[in-house]
Amino acid sequence: MRSIEAKGLTKDFKVYQSRSGLKGAFRDLLNRKYRMIRAVDHINLSIEQGEIVGYIGENGAGKSTTIKMLTGILEPTSGTLQVNGYDPHREREQFVRTIGVVFGQRSQLWWDIAVRESFRLLKKLYRIPDDSYRQHLDRLVEVLEIGSFLDQPVRKLSLGQRMRCELAAALLHRPRLLFLDEPTIGLDVLVKENIRHFLKQVNKEYGTTILLTTHDLSDIEALCSRVVMLDQGKIIYDGDLERLRSQWGDGRRLILELKDEISLSALNERSHGLALRWEGEGTRFVAHMENGTGVSDVLSRLVPAVTVREMKIEEATTEDIVRRIYREGITHHA
Amino acid sequence: MFYVRLFFHYWMQYLKIRMEYRSDFFVQLVTDLMFQGVNLVFIIVVFSHTADLSGWSREEVIFIYGYFLVPFSLFASFFNLWDFNERYIIKGELDRVLTRPAHSLFQVILETMTPESLSGGITGLLVMGWAGWKMGLELSWYDPLLFILFVLGGGAIYAGIYILLTSISLFSDSKTDIQPIMFNVGNYGRYPVDVYNKVIRTVLTWVIPFAFVGFYPASFFLNEERWMTLALLTPVVGLVWLYLGIKVWNWGIRNYRGAGN
Amino acid sequence: MLNTYMELVRIRFLMMLAYRVKYYSGIIIYSLNIGVYYFLWMAIYGENSSLNGTTPVQMATYVAVAWMSRAFYFNNLDREIAAEIRDGTVAIQLIRPYHYILVKCFQGLGEGIFRLLLFSAPGLFLVSLVFPIQLPTGVEDWGWFVLSLVFAFVINSQVNVITGLMAFFIMNNTGLIRGKRVLVDLLSGLLIPIHLFPEWAGKILAFLPFQGISYMPSTILSRGLPTSEIIQFLGIQMLWLILLLIPIQLLWMTARRRLIVQGG
Repeated sequence: MRSIEAKGLTKDFKVYQSRSGLKGAFRDLLNRKYRMIRAVDHINLSIEQGEIVGYIGENGAGKSTTIKMLTGILEPTSGTLQVNGYDPHREREQFVRTIGVVFGQRSQLWWDIAVRESFRLLKKLYRIPDDSYRQHLDRLVEVLEIGSFLDQPVRKLSLGQRMRCELAAALLHRPRLLFLDEPTIGLDVLVKENIRHFLKQVNKEYGTTILLTTHDLSDIEALCSRVVMLDQGKIIYDGDLERLRSQWGDGRRLILELKDEISLSALNERSHGLALRWEGEGTRFVAHMENGTGVSDVLSRLVPAVTVREMKIEEATTEDIVRRIYREGITHHA
Repeated sequence: MFYVRLFFHYWMQYLKIRMEYRSDFFVQLVTDLMFQGVNLVFIIVVFSHTADLSGWSREEVIFIYGYFLVPFSLFASFFNLWDFNERYIIKGELDRVLTRPAHSLFQVILETMTPESLSGGITGLLVMGWAGWKMGLELSWYDPLLFILFVLGGGAIYAGIYILLTSISLFSDSKTDIQPIMFNVGNYGRYPVDVYNKVIRTVLTWVIPFAFVGFYPASFFLNEERWMTLALLTPVVGLVWLYLGIKVWNWGIRNYRGAGN
Repeated sequence: MLNTYMELVRIRFLMMLAYRVKYYSGIIIYSLNIGVYYFLWMAIYGENSSLNGTTPVQMATYVAVAWMSRAFYFNNLDREIAAEIRDGTVAIQLIRPYHYILVKCFQGLGEGIFRLLLFSAPGLFLVSLVFPIQLPTGVEDWGWFVLSLVFAFVINSQVNVITGLMAFFIMNNTGLIRGKRVLVDLLSGLLIPIHLFPEWAGKILAFLPFQGISYMPSTILSRGLPTSEIIQFLGIQMLWLILLLIPIQLLWMTARRRLIVQGG
C-alpha cells in the first residue's frame, strides 16, 4: 500500500479584511469582505511505504498547510487524498493511530508531568497493549538514551533531551508513517547527528515512511533519497537529491590567487572553449565552472602564462542551490 | 468505555500536578468559598429588610442558590474554556489535539478541567441541606433520582452554551468577549425568575435557558406547582443544548484553519 | 519630573484606547449586573416605599451609579505589581530615576481617565435610558460626586498597591488578590449600601476604608445628602487616603531592603 496518495490536492483560505474604525467594526459584523488565497494548488504526490522524503519550500510556500492536510488537521478544499489508506480528516480518529507527528516548535508532551507519565497517557490514548508497549518503550529508551530523565517533567528538559522524548512519544504506537516538522530546529550539531542516525535506523528496522520538512538542508542531505520542493502552493521539483544537484548545481567554483595581475579578458582568452565564466580583478579570480568542466583542464590552460599562488575548489551546497531556485524560479533552468 | 478510562487517567495526572502546587489548590478553594459566602451574605442581609422576595421566603431563596451551585460546579470543573482562543487557536495546541485518536472536544475538556471546582457543589449541597432542614422539606424516593437528572441537565445547558460560544473561535480567531457576557447572564439563573420582568423571564426560559440551571428544578423540590412542567423539561433542554453545542463544534473543526496562517 | 509622570498617564490612556473594543463588552457586562441587582432590590421593596429612608428610585440610582463608578475606579494595579515582583522587573525599576509606586499610580490614573470617559460616562448614560433612575441636575451635586469619586479611585488604588506589594512576602498572592476583589465588592457597599447592613456590621464597616470606595460617592449622587454630611464623607475619605499611605510606605521600605539584600 502507498503511504501517501494525493491527487489535485488543494486548500483555499478565506482571508477576511477588517474595516477600520468603530463604524467599520459594525459593518464587519454584518458583511465581512474577504478574498480567497490558495495555499496549496493542485498537488499530486505519491509516496511509497518506506521512503524518506524531504519536503522543502520557503515560508508561506504551503508546506505546513500540506502537512496539516496530510495529518488530518485540515480538511482539503478539493482533490483526493489517501494516507495509509484513510481519508485523514474524515476518518481522523482511526487514521491518526497509524501516524506519528513531531512538530519541532511545539511540544507533543504534557509540560508539567514526568515524561514517563506522558508516555503512559499516550499509551491510553492510542490503546497500546501492555506487553507491546513495555517492549517497544524499552527499545526506544535504549536507542534514544532517554532513560536518565524519564522521571523529570518536560519543562525541565533541555531542547535536545525534549526532542528525543518527542520522537519516542511519536513512535510509541509504531506508526507506519512519521511526520517531522523542523525536527532539528535549535539543536546543536551532535544532537542533530544522533537524531538523524536514529531516524535512519527506524526507517530501516520498521520500514517506517518518513516525511520531513526542514529549513536545515543538511538534514535532507543526511536522510532523504527524495526531495519535494514547493513554491507558491505548487510542486516545482519532485525527485532525487542527486538530480537536483546536477540540474541546478551550477557546477563548482575555482578560486584562484595569482602572483601577478592579469586582466579579465586575458583570462577569458586563455580558457576559450571551456564551459566557465570568470569573475574578479587584479590577482583574485573566481571561475564558475559548469558541470563537466574539469579543474585540470582549466589549470592546464593557465599554467603556461600565469603563476598560481593559492587555489581552492568550492562546490555549491544544497542550500545554495535551493536558494537559487527560490530566487530565480524553476522556469529559467528547466 | 475507552473514554471513561481516559477520563480517569487524565484525572489522576491532573491530581499529581495539583499536588505539586498544593497551595494554589487551597487558595482556590478558599476564594471560591468566599465568593459563595458573599452571595449568601447578600441574601441574608436583604431578608433583614423584607419577609419575602416576590413570594419566596429566605430559606427558599437560599435553597435555590444552593441548588444552583451544584450544576454550576459541574460546569466550572469541566468546561473551563475561557482561554481556548488564546491557548488552542493562537498558540496552536489544537493542532496537537487533532493528531490524537480521541474526539477533539473531549481532549480539550480533559486538558482544561479543574475538578477542584466541584467543591462548590459540596457547598451547594450543604446550603441546600441546611435550608431544606429549616423548612422541614420532605423527600420522596424519586427526588434523588430527579435531582441527579436535573443537575446533569443544568450542567448540559451551561456546557452546550459555552461549547457553542467557544466554537466561534474555530471559525475566526479574532477575540470576542461574548463568553464573559454570557457568564454574567448566567447569574440571573440563581434567583427566582418572578423577580424579573416578562421579557427577561422569557429570555431566560426560551432563548438562553439559564433559568433551567437553577430556578426551575430547584422550585420543583420546593413543591412549587407553577413551574412543575418546566422543571421536568430540564434534562430535555440540557440535551438539546449539548447536542447543538457539539454539532457546532464538529462543524467548526471541519472549518478549522490551523494555527499560524 | 512631573512631565515624566504625565507622559505615563498619556501612554496608558492611548494603550487602553487601542483595546477599546474590550470596553464595549464591559458596558454590557456592567449593565447586566446592574440589571440583576436592580430587579432584586425592586422585589425586596415589593409594596414598600422606603427601606431605612431610601426610596426605590434612589435605590435604583444607587445601583446604577455604584456599578458605573466601579467601572472607573477598578484597575489591575495589584495584579501588575505582583507580576512585576515575581518576574523581577521591580528590581530594575529601583535603579530608574523615578518612584516605582508613583509610576504605577500614574499608569492607573491614565487607565482611570480612559475608563471614565469611554466606559463609565457612556455606560451611565445608557443605563439611565433603560432603568428608571433619577440623577441630580445641579452642578453642585455633581461636583461633590466627582470629588468623592476621585478620592474613591485613590483609595481603591492604594488598597490595590498594598495587595500587590504583598507579593514580596507571600509566595502565591493571586488568591489574596482574588479574595480581596470579592471582599471589596461586599465591604465597599457596592452590593448592599452600608446603611442597609445590620447595625453591628455597619458599625464595623464604618471603621474600615472600603466605604470610601463605593458607598460614599454613590450615596452622594443618589440620595441628595445635606452639604454637612457630604463634607463629613469627604473628610473620612481624605483621612483614609492619608492613613493608607503609611502601610504602603512601610511595605515598600521593607521590600526595598529585601531587594537590596538579595541583590535583586
